[in-house]
Amino acid sequence: MEPSGVQVKKAARFDSLPMIRFFGHILTSLGSKVLIALSGLGLAGFVVFHMLGNLQVFEGQDALNAYAAFLRDMPMALWSARVALLAIVGLHIGLSVRLAIQNRRARPAGYVVHHYRRASLASRTMALTGSLLVLFIVFHLVHLTAGWLDPEFHNRVDLRGQRDVFGNIVHAFQNPLLVAIYLAGQAVLGLHLSHALSSSLQTLGLEHPMLDRLFRGAGPLVALLVVVGNVAIILAIAFGLVHA
Amino acid sequence: MTFTLKIWRQNGPADKGRLVTYQVRDISPSMSFIEMLDVVNQQLTLKGEEPLAFEYDCREGICGSCSLVIDGVPHGPDRGTVCQLYMRRFPDGATITIEPWRAKAFPIIKDLVVDRSAFDRIMQAGGYISVNTGGAVDGNVLLIGKDQAETAMDAASCISCGACVAACKNASAMLFVAAKVSHLALLPQGQPERTKRAKAMVAAMDREGFGSCGNQYECEAVCPKSISVRFIAKLNREFLRATIEEPSPLAEQPADPHDESH
Repeated sequence: MEPSGVQVKKAARFDSLPMIRFFGHILTSLGSKVLIALSGLGLAGFVVFHMLGNLQVFEGQDALNAYAAFLRDMPMALWSARVALLAIVGLHIGLSVRLAIQNRRARPAGYVVHHYRRASLASRTMALTGSLLVLFIVFHLVHLTAGWLDPEFHNRVDLRGQRDVFGNIVHAFQNPLLVAIYLAGQAVLGLHLSHALSSSLQTLGLEHPMLDRLFRGAGPLVALLVVVGNVAIILAIAFGLVHA
Repeated sequence: MTFTLKIWRQNGPADKGRLVTYQVRDISPSMSFIEMLDVVNQQLTLKGEEPLAFEYDCREGICGSCSLVIDGVPHGPDRGTVCQLYMRRFPDGATITIEPWRAKAFPIIKDLVVDRSAFDRIMQAGGYISVNTGGAVDGNVLLIGKDQAETAMDAASCISCGACVAACKNASAMLFVAAKVSHLALLPQGQPERTKRAKAMVAAMDREGFGSCGNQYECEAVCPKSISVRFIAKLNREFLRATIEEPSPLAEQPADPHDESH
């Protein structure tokens, strides 16, 4: 079927705008994947620094509360970072859901028998772990950032008049239910990260005969470091090694 | 040898399709999987039933026609084509499930035969090079380094069988497109269309309804030609390069006097 001449002209002129053409490339499957990879790497970077910052629990009450006060003393930077993170999360989830729907459509009728030969557990559960991660992050924000679960404890101050983040965390992880939820959250985060990081390097086209092992190992390694760091905090408090 | 076969039967594109169980006896261990299906078809013909439709051609693993998912793995348990798979690979008395490639872009024509012309349309979009007509160019006029030629040949060994699509959770054609784009991008003859090719073939791949790559590398695990997923990274690079290196005129182009819109 030949489209009419007028339509062809319009399409051609539309396509000649460089910006439109550029976004056209971004909305291809590969372009979307590149954006998902970049936003994911940004979020992974945040998760790593979040873990490193939290490790100050082991330096005691003063250190952690001073760190929290330091962050809250820069409201512009803090809120810019929060808005940027939210935008990155939105982009990451939006494009992923769009691709996931396209991927489902790419195989309307599945196999009666199907065996994976190589795919890791993490790679097969990215949509599930991603969705669970959203739930966990919402819970975490409600619990420790907004403090809606325990408002009275959340607004306590330490002897220096700073918000007692340390006391709040120690109080939280003495509750076995919260410990269980946070450990489960870490398991989900670890699974998601272990596939995601190496996968995003491949999506960005990073490949080299001598560095392939590094690229493929980077995901599981970073995931392990993040999970070990975070779990150490949770368990140290749960077992009373760190106490108020 | 004796086998119980569960084979996907589907009368046509509109039919719903179902697995039908067949018993086969007196199969020689030296028979290839395709020859075993020939025996099934002889039995079906003698009984007056409709024989199985399945694809094969060269029977030596180079044409890419044979396309069966055997026990949930494209081309079966070994990393080769179905025609090079022998019945001795299966234990006597085994139950074997045989299905067609499954992807929206590969609609089933009948039984185990799917329409793979989506791959042809992707090739038409950019899997070509421009050559001048006239006398043949002297050999070795264009020097190509040995390692470069070998890497290009690794990619060029793709036989377009579509096992990568069949194995992929998302029915993605990335390994196929990656092999074709890489093959031509690695050679000097492929340079004139290099930028256009990466974008055109990726767009064609999306248009055909293939999914996107989840980097699970199931494709590499079933590829009968052992095409490496490192070519997928190469395709990603080619695509990024093409997006950034958008060729645009540096000077304002004069308006086309024959354009009807002004």
